[in-house]
Amino acid sequence: MVASELTQYVVTGLLVGGVYALMSIGLALIFGVMRVVNFAQGDFMMLGMYLTYYYAVVLGIDPLVGALVTIPPFFVVGLVLHRVFLARVTGGGDPNREMDAQLILTLGMSLIITNATTMILSPMPRAIRTAYATQAFAVGPLLLNQARTYAFFMALCLAAAVYVFLTRTDLGKALRAAADDPEAASYQGINVRAMHGVAFGVGIALVAAAGGLLATYYPIEPNVAVNFIVLMFVAVVLGGLGSIPGAFVGGLAIGLVQSLTLLVLPLQLQNVGVFVAFLLVLYVRPQGLFGRRARTV
Amino acid sequence: MSLLSRAVTLALALLLALPVVGPPPAVAVDDVKIALVVPLSGRWARQGQLKKMGAEMAIDEINAQGGIKALGGAKIVLREADAGDSVEKAVSAAQRVLTREKISAGIGSWLSSFTLGVTEVAERQQVPWLTLSYADNITERGFKYTFQTSPVSSAQAEQALDLVVELAKRNNQPIRKAALIGDNTAATVFFFKPLREKLLQAKGIELVVDEVWTPPLPDATSIVQKLRATQPDVVFYGATNFPDSIQVLQKVKEFGVKTHIQGVGAWLVTPEYVKTVGKELLDNIQAVVAAHPLKGQEELVKKFVQRTGEPFMTQDPLCSYAHVWLIKEAAEQAKSADPKAIRDALAKIDLTTGPAASTLSPGRIRFDERGRRIGAVPLIVQWQNGEPFTVVPVNLATRPVVWHK
Amino acid sequence: MPILAVVAVGFVLSFVVTERYHHRVLTLVFLWATMGLAWNIISGYAGQISFGHQAFFGIGAYVTVLLAAKLKLTPWLGMLGGVGVAVLAAVLIGTPTFRLAGIYFGLATLAYPLIFRIVMDYLGYQEVAIPMMREQPGLFMQFTEPRAFDLLALGILAATLVMSRLIETSRLGYSLRAIKENEQAAEAMGVDSFRCKMIAYMLSAAPAAVAGAVYAHAILFVVTPEAVFGVLVIVQTLTVCLVGGAGTLWGPIIGAAIMIPVSEILDTTMGDRLPGIQGVVYGAALMAVMMYAPEGLYWRVRSMLLGRTRRQVSAVRPVPAAAEVDAPAPTVPAAARPVLMDVRGISKAFLGLQALSDVSFDVREGEILGIIGPNGAGKTTLFNVLNGFLLPERGEVHWLGKSITGLQPHVVCRLGIGRTFQVMRLFPHLTVLENVMVGAFAHGGSPDHARASSLAALDLVGLADRADVVPTGLTTLDLRLMELARCLATRPRLILLDEPLAGLSTDGVELMAVMIRRARSAAVTVAIIEHTIHALVKLADRLVVLDQGRRLAEGLPGEVTRTPAVIEAYLGTRWLSRHGAPQHAEDLRP
Repeated sequence: MVASELTQYVVTGLLVGGVYALMSIGLALIFGVMRVVNFAQGDFMMLGMYLTYYYAVVLGIDPLVGALVTIPPFFVVGLVLHRVFLARVTGGGDPNREMDAQLILTLGMSLIITNATTMILSPMPRAIRTAYATQAFAVGPLLLNQARTYAFFMALCLAAAVYVFLTRTDLGKALRAAADDPEAASYQGINVRAMHGVAFGVGIALVAAAGGLLATYYPIEPNVAVNFIVLMFVAVVLGGLGSIPGAFVGGLAIGLVQSLTLLVLPLQLQNVGVFVAFLLVLYVRPQGLFGRRARTV
Repeated sequence: MSLLSRAVTLALALLLALPVVGPPPAVAVDDVKIALVVPLSGRWARQGQLKKMGAEMAIDEINAQGGIKALGGAKIVLREADAGDSVEKAVSAAQRVLTREKISAGIGSWLSSFTLGVTEVAERQQVPWLTLSYADNITERGFKYTFQTSPVSSAQAEQALDLVVELAKRNNQPIRKAALIGDNTAATVFFFKPLREKLLQAKGIELVVDEVWTPPLPDATSIVQKLRATQPDVVFYGATNFPDSIQVLQKVKEFGVKTHIQGVGAWLVTPEYVKTVGKELLDNIQAVVAAHPLKGQEELVKKFVQRTGEPFMTQDPLCSYAHVWLIKEAAEQAKSADPKAIRDALAKIDLTTGPAASTLSPGRIRFDERGRRIGAVPLIVQWQNGEPFTVVPVNLATRPVVWHK
Repeated sequence: MPILAVVAVGFVLSFVVTERYHHRVLTLVFLWATMGLAWNIISGYAGQISFGHQAFFGIGAYVTVLLAAKLKLTPWLGMLGGVGVAVLAAVLIGTPTFRLAGIYFGLATLAYPLIFRIVMDYLGYQEVAIPMMREQPGLFMQFTEPRAFDLLALGILAATLVMSRLIETSRLGYSLRAIKENEQAAEAMGVDSFRCKMIAYMLSAAPAAVAGAVYAHAILFVVTPEAVFGVLVIVQTLTVCLVGGAGTLWGPIIGAAIMIPVSEILDTTMGDRLPGIQGVVYGAALMAVMMYAPEGLYWRVRSMLLGRTRRQVSAVRPVPAAAEVDAPAPTVPAAARPVLMDVRGISKAFLGLQALSDVSFDVREGEILGIIGPNGAGKTTLFNVLNGFLLPERGEVHWLGKSITGLQPHVVCRLGIGRTFQVMRLFPHLTVLENVMVGAFAHGGSPDHARASSLAALDLVGLADRADVVPTGLTTLDLRLMELARCLATRPRLILLDEPLAGLSTDGVELMAVMIRRARSAAVTVAIIEHTIHALVKLADRLVVLDQGRRLAEGLPGEVTRTPAVIEAYLGTRWLSRHGAPQHAEDLRP
């Protein structure tokens, strides 16, 4: 195998992984702060794709920008959904019992979103026609698809912004406090319930933005989430529950593993490589790559 | 519970009490009912809706012309059932629609796994069933009530290869190297198998790329990279999952790969392709299909386009259109709406006239004892300037074929 | 008895229903209820939420169908093959995966069916149509009479119900629930959690495989990887269980009996004419149920019907006077009694912090040994090493002459060393009696036997009248007594009590002291951690003092409390220089 071929595999994997990474951060935030398994995460991504499509086709806004502009409306939607539905079954007491209820609650949400979208917007696939989806940057012997490269860098920037938000701003720190130890946080005067709402809002805003970036090269239809949802969850757990950088690395890792698996396995078994790698990592590090070890007695 | 939560819960509960969305339309007792079990919601809703459009058009035509004459002008009524997105739901839909009323015949279900399950139900309920699915295994089970109007995948492979080789030779660009790229769905697998195992070799063609993936495909780079490196003369292409296919085609353009793409199946010639990748990219790509508008069907296509707003007509609505007409002919010959009688009529039918026969190339409808259409041949369809046209066989073509590399 | 009623209802329904399609719905209800019950064994009872149970469902389906298609083997036998492979898979999957906790476990289990799905596609089994056997249909599980499938599915459901019931009421059931509530406490009470989880997993794989096999024949007619290994299977299982209520027999039945007919009714009435609306309404229904009854319908209805009798404790009991006959002190001095536990040179570090340095002492039979020291001295860490939760870097622990260093907590417990915890580790959803029974099971025996010895232990500590109450709402004193009783039920020779007096009033402290002395007179040696000296001075025969991980002093209480080094550790050098050595231990209150 020539070095440039190998590099091409690595680069391809990273570019794919970048968008997985952004998709996963939102989920990780929601997981980390609320302990919610959001079944509907992929469907919010799909809605983000549709909104970006609307921006592009009706308002003429380039999807790379449009993706960013999905963030404010989705943040608000997230706050509202949390307040009306999720708050009813979370933030109460026993996290074990709560997870059960949230699973089904978000599952119900997912069904409503996909089916309503199919009925209202029709199942006909749509796409944003960008010139850069079929063009590549030639970097030496390597070919980097332009759309994916732009999406990768945007994803990186957004992830960095989230990181700064969480570590430098007061709101971000309050979020992390609420994630780490809700009881202690409430003693500090942090409104944990409100923090849950913020986390949910930011979480789905991020995945909507990821959808917008994805829409620069991927067609849009109501059931698109099904192609990504499992990978999202795998990335978050691989990175370590509750760790945002972990989820990002997890997403990149999955993209990389998917690509490099082709060096050893036939194309049909590509995702087997991902799942096997996932299991191996967890067996060696049960808390995921960046997760915190469970407390001892 | 806060007031807001209470209100929301009440709204949800009311939504639950929405069971009857209008009463079902009034049906005369002696109407002939045809079941249509296709995905109408979920991942494959688009395909199911296209099939429904074709069936509805045929039914309107037939009823407008006076219905089934042998049954005193009985009208045809469509009973659609949503196959959803799982085999369980598809089989439930079939079971539901076949036990609720007396169904004379049925059509469906697009996805070959759904068709396999649905035809089992039809076989047990003894209701004749028509399908456009290509997979060989559908008519290899010894069933008496299943009728497959499309040529089977393995036969298509042989015929398509002959046609392509012929075309290439006539244009002085003989085929020496071939590529097989596609997913592992049944029809594609059945098509590629004979090519891979004997047909290509028999023609002295070297198989240079053989890449099969499990949908969804994360990235097409490795596949198209191989195409670029080996420069095959023809690529047999079976990406039935729309996003996968788009990724491959975009990558082909991105890498500047120049080759002849021969799609396997009608999924490649739908309007959404034009909207997604544009007509330049699609130009000259061909597909092997079971049915496509033929010379002489211009009126039909115009009517369809006007009715539905679709930019053109493709295999799915065309086949269900033909199937409905075929059932009508069978009912006329059987002089009965009884499913067993219709089945017997279909088994011995020999139809050369009428919309059904003119749709299903080469214009004669007869079934063998397995339920396969005797003499069924595939068509080759080509994208030209943003619309797919039948190019082979030449006598039924609506446009001449364009060949370039 | 209620199981019989449910089965009878199912039976009757099967005969009352006439339409073929309705039979199918009935079959679906029974099958999904079975799958839900199977899932419930590992995820409801044991609390190990699995997202990958469809692995066994799919194995059952594929093995049975492939054996029938390729070898013409009757599915009645093929099913057994499916069960065998599924149980084997459970062992192979469970062994590495039980180390993971919570959502990590759940998603790791999901990886397996996803892998199987891809592999099945790869092997060419994307669509395995079950060949129609027109002769001998019954032999191949192909019935023309739809009722036959109902009854078959009902039979499987009944068998799974019975199995679940047996588990619930057995020792395994108690152990599983203890593991779910607090795995470490369960370990300390002698529950071999790995073994219990594995058995539960194997037991849950079998009905799942059978359900998968029947599902393939009754419902699908063609087996695809998506249909039996896909996410929709686990989604349906979760829906059925969580809507109905996890952790109980009746949950999956209620869930299946409600949600499946609702889904089918929606398909029938709206779905065909307005496709997609059935998904919206079904989703709304799920949301509504979860908002109204997040714990599941069964638990919700149950708590509504039972009112609050279980939760509330009727009246706060007055602390009984400690002036009951106190056990007399033993006559033989501690130094002369045989050594039960010999702790030699234990060192333990955490991330650079040396928690314990070369700690050595011994515990003599029949004594009450007090282990004291200021906060952060390493006392609880020491107990964690003795009890098997931590492995020391250096040093050994010998029990009755044999080394027990590094043995697992449940083994240590069964060897006769019991433990209570500084932060109380209850099983909050079990009654007081059930809490104690978990301990009683450490030495085997039937549930009845365990119940009897648990009642005896509760009697010993004076909690017999609280036996059927759930611990929330009990006073700290009662909870500590319960923990003590649970510990004593494991029939230990030595108990390690970690700050049992914390949070108690003076009366409470005295009562606990009485109980501890009672335990000692019942031939149980006691090692007790406290950080306030004055409480222990009267109770303990000997004291060991730890400070910053080192053993500072060891000896009789009177001597130790006057040792300057000890005083300095507690109160500081300045206090010592100002006040000198105290006369009475009470003065050592920091």
